[in-house]
Amino acid sequence: MPDPGLALAVFSLVTVILVVLFWPNWGLASRLLRLVPATERVRIEDSLKHVFNAEYQGTSCTIESLAGVLEIPRSEAVKLVARLDSSRLVELSSRRGTPTLALTAAGREYALRILRTHRLWEQYLAERTGVNPSDWHDQAEVREHTLSAEDADLLAAGMGHPPYDPHGDPIPTAAGQLPPKLGVALTSYTAGRAARIVHLEDEPAEVYQQLVHAGLSPNMHIQLLESSDDKVRFSADGREHQFDPVVAASITIVPTRVDDVTEGVSRKLSDLRVGETGRVLGIVASCRGVQRRRLLDLGAVPGTLIKAKLKSPLGEPVAYDIRGAMVALRHEQADSIQISSAEESAVKVS
Amino acid sequence: MIATTPCAGCHQNRAENLVALGVRVGKWDYLVALAGNPNTGKSTVFNALTGLRQHTGNWPGKTVVRAEGSFDNQDKRVKIIDLPGTYSLDAGSADEEVARDFLLFGQPDVTVVVVDATRLERNLNLVVQILEVTDRVVVCLNLMDEARRHGIDVDVDKLSAELGVPVVPTVARRGRGIPKLLEAMHAVAMGSVTTTPTQVDYKAPAVESAVSELGTHIESAFPTLSKPRWVALRLLGGDTRVEHALRAGDLGGIESGALIPETVRDREENPSAEVSDLLDIAANLRWQLPSGFRDAIVENIYKKAEGIAERCTSRDGKPRFDLDATLDRLLTSRWLGFPTMLFILAVVFWLTIAGANVPSGMLATLLLDNFHPVLKDAAAALSLPFWLDGLLIDGVYLATAWVVAVMLPPMAIFFPLFTLLEDFGYLPRVAFNLDSMFQKVGAHGKQALTMCMGFGCNAAGVVATRVIDSPRERLIAIITNNFSLCNGRWPTQILIATIFIGALVPSQLAGLVSAAAVVAIAVLGMIAMFGVSWLLSQTVLRGQATTFSLELPPYRPPRVLQTLYTSLIDRTLIVLWRAVVFAAPAGAVIWLMSNITVSGVSIAVHAVSFLDPFGVLIGLNGVIMLAYIVAIPANEIIIPTVLMLTVMTAGVTNPEGVGVMFELDSSVETRAVLVAGGWTLLTGINLMLFSLLHNPCSTTLYTIYRETRSLKWTTVSV
Repeated sequence: MPDPGLALAVFSLVTVILVVLFWPNWGLASRLLRLVPATERVRIEDSLKHVFNAEYQGTSCTIESLAGVLEIPRSEAVKLVARLDSSRLVELSSRRGTPTLALTAAGREYALRILRTHRLWEQYLAERTGVNPSDWHDQAEVREHTLSAEDADLLAAGMGHPPYDPHGDPIPTAAGQLPPKLGVALTSYTAGRAARIVHLEDEPAEVYQQLVHAGLSPNMHIQLLESSDDKVRFSADGREHQFDPVVAASITIVPTRVDDVTEGVSRKLSDLRVGETGRVLGIVASCRGVQRRRLLDLGAVPGTLIKAKLKSPLGEPVAYDIRGAMVALRHEQADSIQISSAEESAVKVS
Repeated sequence: MIATTPCAGCHQNRAENLVALGVRVGKWDYLVALAGNPNTGKSTVFNALTGLRQHTGNWPGKTVVRAEGSFDNQDKRVKIIDLPGTYSLDAGSADEEVARDFLLFGQPDVTVVVVDATRLERNLNLVVQILEVTDRVVVCLNLMDEARRHGIDVDVDKLSAELGVPVVPTVARRGRGIPKLLEAMHAVAMGSVTTTPTQVDYKAPAVESAVSELGTHIESAFPTLSKPRWVALRLLGGDTRVEHALRAGDLGGIESGALIPETVRDREENPSAEVSDLLDIAANLRWQLPSGFRDAIVENIYKKAEGIAERCTSRDGKPRFDLDATLDRLLTSRWLGFPTMLFILAVVFWLTIAGANVPSGMLATLLLDNFHPVLKDAAAALSLPFWLDGLLIDGVYLATAWVVAVMLPPMAIFFPLFTLLEDFGYLPRVAFNLDSMFQKVGAHGKQALTMCMGFGCNAAGVVATRVIDSPRERLIAIITNNFSLCNGRWPTQILIATIFIGALVPSQLAGLVSAAAVVAIAVLGMIAMFGVSWLLSQTVLRGQATTFSLELPPYRPPRVLQTLYTSLIDRTLIVLWRAVVFAAPAGAVIWLMSNITVSGVSIAVHAVSFLDPFGVLIGLNGVIMLAYIVAIPANEIIIPTVLMLTVMTAGVTNPEGVGVMFELDSSVETRAVLVAGGWTLLTGINLMLFSLLHNPCSTTLYTIYRETRSLKWTTVSV
């Protein structure tokens, strides 16, 4: 019989090696995969997307900007543009000496298809999976090149034809239609007024990470408190946020009427102590998909009175009386339900 | 709008649909679907109607796989389908999808919605949604006794008038109101009662403008349509069924509920120009929909439900002393919660172990010591050939008998006890107490319970995971269930612990130490369960959608006799089935292996020497490896098999004969045999560990496969 200590050591060594090789995201295998150079088709599709975005945002697209976005040397970008030009996907024109790119009809159709797939996939990840918000974009970047148009249509039908992706961007229809751009950058808005977030720019990733980390998401109602050259301060879903103007510029908003916004800082359901009652104002926008549906179906719709009844001996979950039923919710869930402040705790729930 | 009798063509198509939905088509006059919120007593109503004993419990979400039954009512054959309990029809989870698809495409002649009278508001939410898709509805207002106990009075006539469909108050547990329910079902199915279901008007400003714009377009394209606004709303919400119907130009069909998706697929390919325009308009209008469109719809439905509930219920003054609340405070309190829980579980285990020993021993004596020789004698008297007698009696019969003797008594005690706790409503409180621990590893609190069930039998534990309604957490619970040391493996653990570990210490302490060793192994299993749950949720199952909801139902006095009866019958049947289907063939294989010889040595010995290097690598030996391979079907026969094989390979004389499994009466003798086979203390400990961590038995595997419908996950759990 071999030495058991040796056997154990060999076994744990093998386990460690396997983990290092195949752990998702930081394992060696997945790192190597990411180093494989993008194929030409992928590059073409990415550049079409870039040109389209520039047109949609009303900025101009040049070879330099293309090289920057695709992270390729300028010489490569020139070759790529020549290729796009020869297959009649873009047209080159000269504006003040710099060659600018514009999409042809065929190019626009192609770009819209890629965009549709990308945004549908992001929406799919947001609604139907538990994938981390900061990973949506990267995964969709891969999927947009592999999913066929038919599959994208099926995906759309399965989700009830979502009009917007989780960043608030409109998803092009199968016929390739897209509404005109909505909203303005948060930095160009007047302090003291109410607005609704319609879009969070997901590039560059570092900035987007910051916004996601702060819990921001489209459809959140915000109140701009202060906007100056060195900081932008606002309250959203009852919490106060502060960003550099560079970061805040990635937030696009539309103005709203003041009465759409709940006044001041509201409470969360998880703030209720056992025995207290609150009235539901709504569910925060970052709670989506099945999670949101379940809370709604359980009766946590605006106006519902909820009473905290019991706390688990481990502190979590807490059982609430929602419309006559005892439902246990975890903190994470109770955090996403906003309730009105304490005055109503006098109201009696059976 | 309601066709009193479905047209012949429709009916045939429906039959096809039903086959596609997995319903066995037989002879019946009308089809009834049973829908409702989880934990409203739906299964009890189902049983009361069919006389079947579907296992029911005080658990939200019991029926995940649809149950179906049939019975006679006023000379008509009635087929009834028990749909999974859902909170809504919005296709959010697998259960909801099943329920929704069935109501839409199965087109039941009557849909009975079981409603909890004590939680009328939430239940009416589902009723209102169902009324949107089908007219032929009977509401079964169940748990009337509980409502009365809580001082809630429901005005049944008013409720019926408000909803526009018949409402029947029942107490399904006692069979009260069931005849009335049958009558109402019959009347609606036969069309002798016309229903005028109430509809929600979505007046919220958020919804209004888009709906009225699209509605106008639809009205001009299809002037005969009776509910253009409803169609517009559905279309905006992305209801694929309405879209299909529109493409096929069959909107009339969808309103009368006669749409058959299979027949329209051909026409869908080329929708008319009008229809394509409409679809385009709808697609463009979706951008104008406010962010809270879907929320607004749910809110509207709830408003409606709330209004109806408020007008139809009255509470008589203050509720009396609230026993539920007091019990809850006690059972989930910081100081008493865990001690009570541990105490109750300890009592359950103690009752099982203490109670099972006697009947187990009796069965063993009866089946193995008494009946086996009788069979042998009979075989000899009939002068059966050596191989037939050996194969059938020493192989098949012995394995089957062994499994029955070991498994039946604990199963018959353990599970009824659990069911009683479940019926009473205590188990959800256990999940409530423990959830936090499970949340940390990405699992659901209810896994604590499926784990406990696993101590009885992993297959039953796997089935029990049905109560977990989030697919991700459910998979975790299924895969890790094997780490609960099941009933079939306890004897192995106890025996080895006694022989090898108990022998290390003075004999006064032996019992205690070996018991501690077994408990340590069980605890190790729990630790492994947590570890693997965590690993799974971090790796392969990362990113799977997850929801949590845990409803704490009111306490209900358990029905002791009925529970004992059904539980006993259920479990006995499972054990017998298992013994015959899985253990019997294994018995035959084992016997054949040890009796067929190739070049003078039996196959078993060949296999043992082949497996020996692998076994030694993990600290076991070839004998154990082989035993585990052939005994995959039933872990109970491991020890007998090991003994037999050891005797064979080590050359000790087998008192019972070649290839006959046996167990020795005293552990001293057993030890002698094993030591002769080259066993050491280390082998013993390794065997205990291996028995804990090795692959589940084939019954469990089969159950896992049936529950997940996926070979992939079955393999993972191996």
